[in-house]
Amino acid sequence: MRIIGDTSFPFLSYRRLALSLSALVIVAGLAYEFLGPGLNLGIDFVGGTQVTLKFREEPDLGDLRSAISGLDVGAPMIQRFDEVEKHEILIRVENPEGEEGDFTRPILELLKGRYNADLGDRFDINTQGSQGLRDLLVAADPDGVGGDQEGREAYYEPMAEAVLTYRKNHGIFDSLDELGQVEGLSAPARDYLQNTVGVGAFSLLGADSVGPSVGADLQRKAMLAIAFSLLGMLIYIWIRFQLPYAIGAVVALFHDVLITLTALAVTSREINLPTVAALLTLVGYSVNDTVVVFDRVRENLRLHRGEDLEQQMDLSINQTLSRTLITSGTTLAVVLSLYVFGGDVINTFAFVLLVGIIVGTYSSIFVASPVALAVNKVLVARRERRRRKGRR
Amino acid sequence: MDKKILWRIVLIIAVVALSLWSLYPPGEKIHYGLDLSGGIHLVLQVQTDDAIKAELDDDARRLVSRARDKGVELGETSSNIKDLSFTVAVPASADTATLREVAASWLQGYKITPGAGVWTFQLPPNMDRTVRDLAVRSSLETIRNRIDQFGVSEPVIQRQGVESDRILVQLPGVDDPARVKDLISSTAFLEFLEVVGGPAPDRQSLLAGLGGTLPSDSEILSGERKGLDGQVVGLDYWVLKKAAIISGQDLRSARRSQDEYGQPVVNFSTQPHAADKFAEYTGSHIGTRMAIVLDNNVISAPVIQSRIPGDGRIEGNFTVEEAEDLALKLRAGALPATITYLEERTVGPSLGHDSVVRGVRAAIAGLIAVMIFMLIYYRLSGLNANVALLLNLIILLGVMAYFGATLTLPGIAGVILTIGMAVDANVLIFERIREELRVGKTVRAAIDTGFARAFGTILDANLTTLIAALFLFNFGTGPVKGFAVTLSIGILASMFTAVFVSRTLYMLAMAGRERVETLSI
Repeated sequence: MRIIGDTSFPFLSYRRLALSLSALVIVAGLAYEFLGPGLNLGIDFVGGTQVTLKFREEPDLGDLRSAISGLDVGAPMIQRFDEVEKHEILIRVENPEGEEGDFTRPILELLKGRYNADLGDRFDINTQGSQGLRDLLVAADPDGVGGDQEGREAYYEPMAEAVLTYRKNHGIFDSLDELGQVEGLSAPARDYLQNTVGVGAFSLLGADSVGPSVGADLQRKAMLAIAFSLLGMLIYIWIRFQLPYAIGAVVALFHDVLITLTALAVTSREINLPTVAALLTLVGYSVNDTVVVFDRVRENLRLHRGEDLEQQMDLSINQTLSRTLITSGTTLAVVLSLYVFGGDVINTFAFVLLVGIIVGTYSSIFVASPVALAVNKVLVARRERRRRKGRR
Repeated sequence: MDKKILWRIVLIIAVVALSLWSLYPPGEKIHYGLDLSGGIHLVLQVQTDDAIKAELDDDARRLVSRARDKGVELGETSSNIKDLSFTVAVPASADTATLREVAASWLQGYKITPGAGVWTFQLPPNMDRTVRDLAVRSSLETIRNRIDQFGVSEPVIQRQGVESDRILVQLPGVDDPARVKDLISSTAFLEFLEVVGGPAPDRQSLLAGLGGTLPSDSEILSGERKGLDGQVVGLDYWVLKKAAIISGQDLRSARRSQDEYGQPVVNFSTQPHAADKFAEYTGSHIGTRMAIVLDNNVISAPVIQSRIPGDGRIEGNFTVEEAEDLALKLRAGALPATITYLEERTVGPSLGHDSVVRGVRAAIAGLIAVMIFMLIYYRLSGLNANVALLLNLIILLGVMAYFGATLTLPGIAGVILTIGMAVDANVLIFERIREELRVGKTVRAAIDTGFARAFGTILDANLTTLIAALFLFNFGTGPVKGFAVTLSIGILASMFTAVFVSRTLYMLAMAGRERVETLSI
């Protein structure tokens, strides 16, 4: 089967249109980022605390807001996380200006005060861990194991683990009846737990707290990583090809990164560590595409010595066109699958790659070669001038 | 069969078998990162300024009391962390020659600047670095002890960089972050306790010695017993009074030193407010044992030799290392610096579990989509590419297992991305073969030139991706590093499978056939 036959599109003759269009999008994007609403930098880079919780029943967002209103922090952002029926909530707050510390705890304490007040001193099976549960069982010894502390710990440890495994698989205990479904829990231990422990309103899915110094650190590192990888590409292509190609490829990379950042800004998606990782991957992927075209240009220039560079570039782009589109297609297919099935945690990561692959494919055809051609023209003209001067 | 093909097949089977072997059993061999297994990641900062202040305060206090011994009364002291100095009010009537003498013998290396009524003493150069370094090392030791006690498997507890005041703590699988944080941030629990009975090799004989019952104000604790060569030979059990004589907060400093026979000992000093209490107790209990208990472990139970006025000495059959360790632990108990959290990441067990399930689902969906496409578009050659793709995945996971690399959520994304990008090499080759066939080359020649021409391109294209992955690895922390590793291994494996394995499969298909007229591509 073949989708794309022998083509001979004059890609490079559209270069003014294509470059103007790209420039327009990039300028609009930069204006949006620097003059408009800007990029949504996540807590990894600006610091802050983010807590993800799973509730037994859908909580009222206003209620949640008032519960944590006692915090001495900026306006909290509260939103649903993942699918609605999972009752998952994400709370993000700014840390007090310039301060470091444990800011997760106060949020959880406030929420416990609001939602778990009825538990009193009872052990909360939804927020506490297996060691605490084990200690509880060891102290009560419902199975009457007797013996010394260590022996009882060894006996009850697997039971506590089993209860936690159930919570791990289901996210939360909805009621104590579910203890009946926990395998490996003896009947007396189950009865004991059903009489003594409580079921809290929420379980903790995750918490991230980044202080300002680590945030600044990560921001600096991310910038350096992107800058250095672009520089690395420039040098590598310069060595393997020539300067005009290296400049063409790196301009195309800047193009891809800037447009993808604009897409992130417009959709107000959060930029965090995995997002930067995705951007760097995009750099690798996009240059990969460009190099395939340049490789063909180099080969064609060897075969058809002395012919016009523009024609050779068009020929090369057409010759590699089916490969470019197929590879983009297969990569896009897997990234799409990640975007659809991967869940909220990895969603922005997949989004960056999704946009990046489309933009990267476009740029390797419409940006990299035209820029390389233009730079080459300038360099050739300069060489010419110098030669003439020398002759005179 | 051609000998060349045979060798290729043997190599491929060997690589795949090795990968499968290092993968087996899969549940245990692939390590999940914190984001998948659940757990806690903390970056702590030791406030070393606290330690500097304590050092300055101590030295100022010592100067005042030593000067008083020599009959020189000094006034107010105050310490200044910024320029690492303290000032002492010196009355006009004071004997400055004696003061200089005292300072020279008790504050060695200090730069002394006499002024009108106020003298300034500046910490010796480099001393502040030593003090800060000690504070971080003691804190590290404390945290390690406490976490060991908690029984976390494979914890990471390390200093971030040699001179850094940051400590990284990673605890995979911990399901109760609040408890761990409590454990870490509470100051180390050091106590000096009165010994009621012991040592004994077990609880029973210990209790027998007390007439069978444990007094209500006492408890039984144990500590390691060492043989003459310093090896641990068992546990010693002690009956100790619950109420502490003094505790960790009452200690000011502890340093390894030597006694007059060159035997390593540990010198310690108490805070002024505890000195009287300690002196009184030790004075009235000469000849009895006193246990030094750290985090409920009896470290040693020396016999009190004399009244200890504030500065004491612990003797035991220490080696130099043991004395150093004990001093470190005592300092840790006296934790001279507070700890702040710079970064905290907690992943609940169910979120990690959910991520794995979804990641695997996405990987399988992507894999199936790509394989079906390759099969339809390139027919039997597509099958060839699919075999290469599956081998690529096996090798990728096998290599990760072999090197003990950690699989993170972005790492799963890396595996998925590898699926998409691995077929790229095959696509490059196949498109090239098609081109060669179109210009009228025979099947064999087309395959030969196709592979040869495409190889240069594949190399260039993959090396650029590797460069990006390298910077990613350098920049990233935990999850992102995992992604870079997965991506790099995937790229390298794809060069092997797409170029070498696919070529071999073609050779195999061609072998034994005189003339090959058509190629399913």
